[in-house]
Amino acid sequence: MPNIVQTNQLTKIIDGKELVKNVNIHVKKGEVYGFLGPNGAGKTTVMKMLTNLWKPTSGEVWLFGEKLTPASYEVLKRMGSIIEFPCFYDHMSGKDNLQLHSEYMGYHTPGCVEDALEMLGLADASEKQVKSYSLGMKQRLGIARAILCKPELLILDEPTNGLDPAGMKQIRDLFRMLCSEYGITIIISSHMLSGVESIADTIGVINHGNMMKEISMKEISEMNTAYIELAVENTKKAAYVLADKLELSNFKAIDEKCIRIYDACIDTKDISKALAMNEVEINSISKKAESLEDYFLKLTGEGVRK
Amino acid sequence: MIKLIKLEWKKNNIAKYMRGAVILAAFLCLFVFALAFLGIANDPDGTLDAAEGMGTISAPIELFTSMSFLIFTSVMLASFIVSAYKNKTMNLMFSYPIKRQKILASQMIAVWLFNFAALVVTKLLIYACVSIGSLSMESSFAVDFNMGSLSFYIQLLLKSFVIVSMSFIALFIGMIMKSSKATIIASFIMIFLTQANIGDFSLAGNLIFPAILTVVSFTFAVLSVFNAETRDLL
Repeated sequence: MPNIVQTNQLTKIIDGKELVKNVNIHVKKGEVYGFLGPNGAGKTTVMKMLTNLWKPTSGEVWLFGEKLTPASYEVLKRMGSIIEFPCFYDHMSGKDNLQLHSEYMGYHTPGCVEDALEMLGLADASEKQVKSYSLGMKQRLGIARAILCKPELLILDEPTNGLDPAGMKQIRDLFRMLCSEYGITIIISSHMLSGVESIADTIGVINHGNMMKEISMKEISEMNTAYIELAVENTKKAAYVLADKLELSNFKAIDEKCIRIYDACIDTKDISKALAMNEVEINSISKKAESLEDYFLKLTGEGVRK
Repeated sequence: MIKLIKLEWKKNNIAKYMRGAVILAAFLCLFVFALAFLGIANDPDGTLDAAEGMGTISAPIELFTSMSFLIFTSVMLASFIVSAYKNKTMNLMFSYPIKRQKILASQMIAVWLFNFAALVVTKLLIYACVSIGSLSMESSFAVDFNMGSLSFYIQLLLKSFVIVSMSFIALFIGMIMKSSKATIIASFIMIFLTQANIGDFSLAGNLIFPAILTVVSFTFAVLSVFNAETRDLL
């Protein structure tokens, strides 16, 4: 079973409006999957269908190698989720809310509530009514609830909303830890690339209900690392110099007058010096960086223009 | 199922409703006591000002307890179920590995049980008060019940059953309109539609009406639960 979560041509139409259209997602076991898209792109819709809250108009969802049907309940035991904003029974304390959750989930490991509260830094507030919690605390409590029953799959819709930067980092470290130590597969949605960039293994970009791209972080970083763009009169000669004299291997001739050098360790100064010494005429030399943010905007921006 | 019902009570703060029910029962008891012995329903000349056929004490007792608890039940159903849809805690409930029909049914039974018990206790309390009062005072209404007979208790249980079940009709309306207010207003309308009958029907003379009402109520209860599995939560 290579994919723990997979959707085939998932489509949801409500009142004649296509919220998502033919979405195919592939999430491998044990990875962190970043689900990216601007507001209203259909992220939550997809996540609702993954957790069986909404039923697809057409297409199918496969979880843990089984097809999700309206009567799939057992599979919910293996999942933890936050969809939209986590809601609680406000008049009860944080701890009671979590206890209630474990009762409903049928999960009875002693101390799991305390552990989860501890992990999210809520131990001090555990006896207070949820009513009095701040936005960030509620979000944390939501995460605590999602991880309470040690699920195999976590589905989190914008989990870092409402958190301060330090809190975001803490939560991200927690996710990384859950993934590496417990082997939990995590799907995180975000409208900001920075929200998932540092932890995701694979990124799926959705816009206007269409899946734009599904790509592993590794491929992205290969594709989009900073590079040095070199405009020269004679690319052949320049390439020879780069390969032979500077012992660079990772560069590419883009067209007749332009070379991109992807080796990060080399300085523009050294390149120009070497080229000048070998009598290669340089028109321009500049450092370029296409960040992931640019890449993401490009993907979603195209969608907007369409 | 029992566990689910208990959890429903716990998370919906049943103690609050318990207090409410006690206050309601005490108030009703006082009111009926005043009707019977303090003459608040009498004309200035001292004769009873009650509608034709309503001159017996059990008529106002049944009427007022039924009215109050039908509304009370609808309020509870609204806050247990309808507002759970609205404030999205239903989303949470439906993410549990429990059949949705079972979740909804447990919520309805939780409310039903509580109110059935509360209504029966309230009625017993009021009847007992009137009985005790009539030992030493003259009642403006004719005392027409006998707490010693078995049929009194059977009637009381059956009538309570019908009344509390009727609130499922209100719940169904509230769920369609996704509004707590609609649930409560529907229960008011039901009182207006049925009070004349509820006020003076007796199980001996009119078995059909409460039977139909109960069947309709449970039909609506089933309808409320039935398509929960395939319907989306919006």
